[in-house]
Amino acid sequence: MSVVLSARDICFGYTRTPVLEHISFDVAAGDYVGIIGPNGGGKTTLLKVLLGLEKGRGEIAWFGQSLSTFNAWQKVGYLAQKSPVSQSRFPISAEEVVLMGLPVRKGCGVAVGELKEVYEAMQKTRTRQYAGKIFHDLSIGQQQRVLLARALVSRPEILILDEPSTALDAQSREMFFDLLGELNSRYKTTILLITHDTGEVGKYISKFMYIDKNLVFFGTKQEFCHSQSVAEKLGPFAQHTIDHLHNHHGHCPLGENCKECAHD
Amino acid sequence: MIEFLSYGFVQRGLIAGSLVAAACALLGVFLVLKRLSLIGDGMSHVCLTGVAVALLTSTSPVYMSIPVVMLSSWGIMKLIQKIRIYGDAAIGIVSAAGISVGLLLTSLAGGFNTDLLGYLFGSILSVSADETILCAVLLAVVLALLLCFYRYLISACFDEPFSKTRGISVEAVNTVLVLVTSVAVVLAFKVVGIFLISALIIIPPVAALLLSRTFKQVLWLSVLFGVMSVWGGIYISFVWDIPSGASIILMNLAILALSYAVGKSRGLNA
Repeated sequence: MSVVLSARDICFGYTRTPVLEHISFDVAAGDYVGIIGPNGGGKTTLLKVLLGLEKGRGEIAWFGQSLSTFNAWQKVGYLAQKSPVSQSRFPISAEEVVLMGLPVRKGCGVAVGELKEVYEAMQKTRTRQYAGKIFHDLSIGQQQRVLLARALVSRPEILILDEPSTALDAQSREMFFDLLGELNSRYKTTILLITHDTGEVGKYISKFMYIDKNLVFFGTKQEFCHSQSVAEKLGPFAQHTIDHLHNHHGHCPLGENCKECAHD
Repeated sequence: MIEFLSYGFVQRGLIAGSLVAAACALLGVFLVLKRLSLIGDGMSHVCLTGVAVALLTSTSPVYMSIPVVMLSSWGIMKLIQKIRIYGDAAIGIVSAAGISVGLLLTSLAGGFNTDLLGYLFGSILSVSADETILCAVLLAVVLALLLCFYRYLISACFDEPFSKTRGISVEAVNTVLVLVTSVAVVLAFKVVGIFLISALIIIPPVAALLLSRTFKQVLWLSVLFGVMSVWGGIYISFVWDIPSGASIILMNLAILALSYAVGKSRGLNA
């Protein structure tokens, strides 16, 4: 598997407070990585540093190219934790929001091909019916799905998602994670997802990354769930996560593939 | 009305005022949506420094103020981007610096005189032919930027972090926006006065936002309201012999109130 994203010795801090310390990892094409960790552990900051939104130390490479020279951003889809329009009255339609995900070009017109891409992405996230509506008139859940369409419209090879399900109700959340699972399994889209929904999303995730200033753990779900040493090392939060993974819907998220659960 | 339009100074005032009001209205849409609208207020206070330097050195207040205000607006952006001071605080700092230096220089120049009062409260009579041409160049630059970089501007206004991940240099967009606004602010102080410039940047876009369903509608209505307020304000100023700056802004406020009422009746700003 080719490496989509490589991070080496990433450090970041606000003034004198270190937020991230010496984090190194590789994400391979097709990985579905769940980033977990306690609040304030630096998960969101890590994504921002990887995307160049915060300036950290260390080396970051996207598709083998250094962050400083990387410009094929259409390969990367990003969905932030918060909806960008907290203010009302930004008079922009849902389809115009999705259009922003395509490579930006000069001029103010929209090409027919661009609109086709926009509608296809909206179809995927089941938001086509909101295309002409004002973005801020939509519910938070609908907005989030429109923003996912914006992240998908350029057909990215990797999706970076920062707690995208926070504002969604249970039904929308399930649909949202099913869609991500489908993107990963059917289109081989690599996904990096910050989540606290380890139970619901656990069935799709292939690897876990546990961040608490340092990279405490990065490995497969099997290693994470069944390693006693990991549980001891990570303490109550990890134990809670593992319990959540095991107990959600009353069965192990690894399903029949889980040999360990047979011994429980 | 015909008599009103027959005066050369009125014609120049209407043309220059319309050009600068249109430019301010277009720029104002982006500044209001980026919550940087008070940058016009901060820059207008810095104009006082430019005018004071010009009075002290017997040079043109407009040409002297343009570099001073551009430098200050660049300073505001650097305070926000590099030192990470909140936007309103950065504007407050530069604004206070502008007023204090302006007052200091005014005092050195021998205190307030009629010239300075004209700049503080606006004097449509004083708009020269050269300045009218400068207003036309400004509007042309604003329109060219808008036509070329419309999608960059909308994206950077709507969602800065996401825009950065699309390879848009948000810092460059913001810097160009405030530098062009600085020129607009300087040219506007001849029309409405230093104290009222920010109203020309803020009120037409806010009124337009109350009535619009699309971004392009906001831009058109904002320009329309800005130009209407200049024509209506200068006419009232001429008829009732009151300062043009005040009458233009009062017209703006009337348009804002009307927009609110119409928007509410149509369920646009419920």
